[in-house]
Amino acid sequence: MEVKTNQFGVYTQALQNFSSRKQEPEWMLQLRLDALEKIEALELPVIERVKYNRWPLVVAPQLKAEQPALAAPIAKWVKDDPEAVRVVQTGNQTVVEQLPEHLKEKGVIFTDIFTALQTVPELVQEAYMQQAVKVDENKMTAFHTAFMTSGLFLYVPKNVVVSEPFEAIFIQNSEVTDSFMKHVLVLAETHSQFSYVEKYVTAGNEKNAANIIVEVIAKPGSKVKFSAVDQLGVQTTTYFNRRGHLEKDATIDWAIGVMNEGNVIADFDSDLVGDGSHSEFKAVSISTGSQIQGIDTRVTNYGRHSVGHILQHGVILDRATLTFNGIGHILKGGVGADAQQESRILMLSDKARGDANPILLIDENDVTAGHAASVGRVDPEQMYYLMSRGISKEEAERLVIRGFLGAVISAIPIKASRQELIDTIERKLSHDSE
Amino acid sequence: MSVLEVKDLHVSIEGKEILKGVDLTMKTNEIHAIMGPNGTGKSTLAAAIMGHPSFEVTQGEVLLDGVNVLELAVDERARAGLFLAVQYPSEIAGVTNAEFMRAAINARREDDDKISVLKFIKKLDEKMSILDMPEEMAERYLNEGFSGGEKKRNEILQLLMIEPTFAILDEIDSGLDIDALQVVSKGVNAMRGEGFGALIITHYQRLLNYITPDVVHIMMDGRVVKTGGAELAKRLEEEGYKGLSEELGLQITIEE
Ligand SMILES: Nc1ncnc2c1ncn2[C@@H]1O[C@H](COP(=O)(O)OP(=O)(O)O)[C@@H](O)[C@H]1O
Ligand SMILES: [Mg+2]
Repeated sequence: MEVKTNQFGVYTQALQNFSSRKQEPEWMLQLRLDALEKIEALELPVIERVKYNRWPLVVAPQLKAEQPALAAPIAKWVKDDPEAVRVVQTGNQTVVEQLPEHLKEKGVIFTDIFTALQTVPELVQEAYMQQAVKVDENKMTAFHTAFMTSGLFLYVPKNVVVSEPFEAIFIQNSEVTDSFMKHVLVLAETHSQFSYVEKYVTAGNEKNAANIIVEVIAKPGSKVKFSAVDQLGVQTTTYFNRRGHLEKDATIDWAIGVMNEGNVIADFDSDLVGDGSHSEFKAVSISTGSQIQGIDTRVTNYGRHSVGHILQHGVILDRATLTFNGIGHILKGGVGADAQQESRILMLSDKARGDANPILLIDENDVTAGHAASVGRVDPEQMYYLMSRGISKEEAERLVIRGFLGAVISAIPIKASRQELIDTIERKLSHDSE
Repeated sequence: MSVLEVKDLHVSIEGKEILKGVDLTMKTNEIHAIMGPNGTGKSTLAAAIMGHPSFEVTQGEVLLDGVNVLELAVDERARAGLFLAVQYPSEIAGVTNAEFMRAAINARREDDDKISVLKFIKKLDEKMSILDMPEEMAERYLNEGFSGGEKKRNEILQLLMIEPTFAILDEIDSGLDIDALQVVSKGVNAMRGEGFGALIITHYQRLLNYITPDVVHIMMDGRVVKTGGAELAKRLEEEGYKGLSEELGLQITIEE
């Protein structure tokens, strides 16, 4: 007989109730309960050079009743645009779903994850925590699977090319005390092509945990442009996991602005499973105040002639910490694979702490791989040059940094989101207080 | 009329004295040339006037209409009217040439008087056409991946856009072919006039065939050793620095 010492066991009944209230399929409940059992024994994921085992990340969400609706008007974060292909979620609720008729007719699905679990359960079941991220990878993935309380499902069918960007806006409800357990599942069918932009913000000032997993399954020949502007609040402690699973000749271009105010552990991975698959990953980040952001970016080349490139640029102010780990792993069999990475950090204060660690693991001979990493200050020659044209020190610094972070800005397909990232960068740089 | 006076300027780098008392006066509506052998301190003079942080002024002053610019920060010197076109300009990724030049122009204007996008583009188009620069150069990142010649043109483009009172052009001719040299000279000549003065640093007389100087200074071993008219450059071309230094009775080793 099994002896249960699992402290999470007490949530079994609550999860059953939650799942039945959401009318989830039986397999989903089973997945949750299996994961629940595993949490206790699994370890936290290792993020090199970042110690976060004492962070309040493993905090179960409220399951008993629906979370109260957000009191704050969403207009602050969402500019009304009837043309936009858009989903807006406040807390656990989906409050806007805009998908034009012509896309619906083509079979595109862009909806709340619980809706998808009812309307297209087999599509969700095939991919959800199965192909990209696995339930029992670590404590955070199991915890997520057990306690996911909100999410989004995007499905683009075979050969469908969508020119309008899909836009998802997630507003964490921290008017209440409740963990933010968000799942985004993006399924790009064979030879589909589209771009997707997501943004995370926080409303309210309660201290909360966030656990966000984003899975992008790119089927053969599909092309996905994925961009994000993360701006979770100072009181939010976040575990972020974005993972691409790329099949033959699939491409994902990632452009991520990691602009949160609170402590963040992020794991951004691309599994280049198929031959000829290609991931271009670009991330920019700013750490301010006393916040810690630790970002692990990994590309694993399984497929022959697969290409994985990583570019990470970060800026640190005040007493903040920013760590970039770039991991390029070419497995045996990945003949002709290419793994390149560049991680650079600019420190704008004496008390800033920055780390850029390139890690290359290569198990195949016939490959190309390379890395560049640096942690330093704004180049005084660049400053001198700009100032010699009459530009003030502050403005010169702003220009150099804007340029340094520009790689992600230009990759964002929605003008308003691009501007939002620029504004966020300016805001973070200008509250250079301490 | 404006006046730029360099008085008894001594400059060291890493404890080594490079400029040993330079004196020089120039006015707007004048073009001066400084010639001299390599390693004699011409670039040091230019950098010290502009305020490069590596150079330490140990003695002397640089007065712009009576104000000692050595007491001003680099950006203040620029806004006071100084401009330096350098041999090896910095590359700045992610900042477009146009964005940079607009920031430079606006740095000289009040908050409620910024140049409009339209006016800016018009001016930029006009100046770029003087320099035979393709339009796409405006949207490229500042000096990033520019060839040597493109960088030089871009320095002169900034000169035309910013319209300073005094410009120092440090070896703007080096590495340019004749066509490029003519284009760059055309740019500088377009600035000639009442409100503008230039100090052209060059190793060779060649550039001065296109931009005729009013005054020529010869610099050797950290000092201005002779000043004359345009004919001095021609003489130098014939006699070489060696001949001149012997004539002046200077004990200087010159590698040419
Ligand atoms: N950054 C530097 N560090 C050390 N020495 C320098 C530096 N820049 C110039 N020098 C030295 O100063 C002297 C004058 O150089 P420079 O002003 O460049 O001469 P010019 O422009 O006349 O060729 C040379 O001996 C050169 O080696
Ligand atoms: Mg020189």
